Amino acid sequence: MTASLTALLRYQAALLARSHRWLPPFLVYAAFLAIGVQTGGPILDAYGYAAAGLLPVTVWLSRICAANEPPAARRCIAAAAGPGRAQLAALLTAAGAALLLALGGTAFVALLSDPHSADHRTAVPVGPATAAGLLTALVCLLLGGAIGALCSWPVLRRPGWGVPAGLVAALLLLVLGASPANAALTGMVTGSERGTVLMPWLPLAAALPLAAAAAAVACALAARRG
Amino acid sequence: MPRGAAARMRLDGVGRRYGVRGPWILREVRLDVPAGALLRVEGANGSGKSTLLRLLAGLDRPTAGRITGRPRTAYVPERFPAALPFTAAAYLTHLGRVHGLRTPEAARRAAEWLERFGAAGHARTPLAELSKGTSQKVAVAQALLAGPDLLVLDEAWTGLDPAARGLLDRAVAERVAAGGSVVFVDHDPGRLAGAADARYRVADGRLHPVPAGPAAGPEQAAEPRGPVAVIEAEGPPGSPPPAALPGAPEAAPGPGGTIRLTVPAAHSDALLRALLTAHPPWHIRTVTAPGPPPGPHAPGRRPPGPPAPGPDTPAPGENPRP
Repeated sequence: MTASLTALLRYQAALLARSHRWLPPFLVYAAFLAIGVQTGGPILDAYGYAAAGLLPVTVWLSRICAANEPPAARRCIAAAAGPGRAQLAALLTAAGAALLLALGGTAFVALLSDPHSADHRTAVPVGPATAAGLLTALVCLLLGGAIGALCSWPVLRRPGWGVPAGLVAALLLLVLGASPANAALTGMVTGSERGTVLMPWLPLAAALPLAAAAAAVACALAARRG
Repeated sequence: MPRGAAARMRLDGVGRRYGVRGPWILREVRLDVPAGALLRVEGANGSGKSTLLRLLAGLDRPTAGRITGRPRTAYVPERFPAALPFTAAAYLTHLGRVHGLRTPEAARRAAEWLERFGAAGHARTPLAELSKGTSQKVAVAQALLAGPDLLVLDEAWTGLDPAARGLLDRAVAERVAAGGSVVFVDHDPGRLAGAADARYRVADGRLHPVPAGPAAGPEQAAEPRGPVAVIEAEGPPGSPPPAALPGAPEAAPGPGGTIRLTVPAAHSDALLRALLTAHPPWHIRTVTAPGPPPGPHAPGRRPPGPPAPGPDTPAPGENPRP
């Protein structure tokens, strides 16, 4: 009850860092960027590509953090801090790790890409393009975190269902027109065609409550299924 | 802190079932957990006592009823096979911080509790490499190191060696003496015998208080009297013993103006500490080491139960398993 969220975050972050379970998603994301981001490619397209890859990777990281402790250890933490807060700390730790990836990916794209439109005729300002790229990554991060929270303990407890459910949900969010992630990515692609930077404020405004609601569901259930 | 302080947790009409149509695991549980109380919960396997402990520890929420007044809580599981990527000391420091301690204090108490349980040599051992017994010591230490107001022990003694079990008994008595509440389940009927303030039995999904003493029916054996320690202490002339002593010792006049205090062995350290640190302090004349329970005519805190058969009589300083 008196435990600060800081102590929980520190514990979860140390747990993730020392368990080395962060390594596979980080490597996969690095490979994804290395394959798809070309030197001299149009910058907005590259930002869209980097953000799209972040969504399933965030699902993966959230699933790792949500189940990174054996049940006995989780109960010790939950008794001290409350199961909901313990779960929130795990989800926030995953989001933090994904944010590191987003920042790294953004820096990578900014260094390699060409600040022009898709046809390389219109110049695109690097600063606003990078801001739009970061916001798009944030939209994908929030939605990936939401799926990760809903596709792992305590919401989805059947072993073997979490991974396929998470992958399908991530894919649907990327391709379905109604999804904020799709809207943000489409904005990047059309912006690249026209040579204008479109800030994804609306998708971000939609993704924030979705992520908050998913985290709230997971934390509330953690208190009932301890 | 005095025993019976105002702060207390209360379970009011608490019920728990899993699923909308699942059977009730627990129903209409009414339980007060006063500050400074040591409560024992009994019940057959699958009777719901673990569910009750999880509700008490805040790990689970009741389907019906309310739990109010939850204090700062710590929980010790029965098995702690923690495959966590920390050393014992680092894990305990993290847990101390989660309990609200600052880092230096958390690290100091982590080292102190490991030393107390004779596991100081394992402070830098990764948790995954610890033996089962040492793992359990870490599990116990994480709960005790922050001095929780409510300590919930789910067969925490299982897996500990006899010496560590005795240490845990005394640590529990210490918590209770400091005003904390302790609720425990243990399969050993002699666990903290005579020291518990109340016993409850979970049966048919309900919580029944187990009456102490001969009023209990023949089926429900009264609480076995555990080993006791006898302390002869001398206070300032004419003054009564301090009020609210740990373990609620039975006081009787002793030789030479002393007072003879009989207390469950687990409480003896806490009682001595309370006497020596009283204002004005008491003088300790003699301490008789924990022995077998006194005979049926000896003065006791509670009327003694049926005499324990020979093999079950606890030997001094250890708590044999049945």
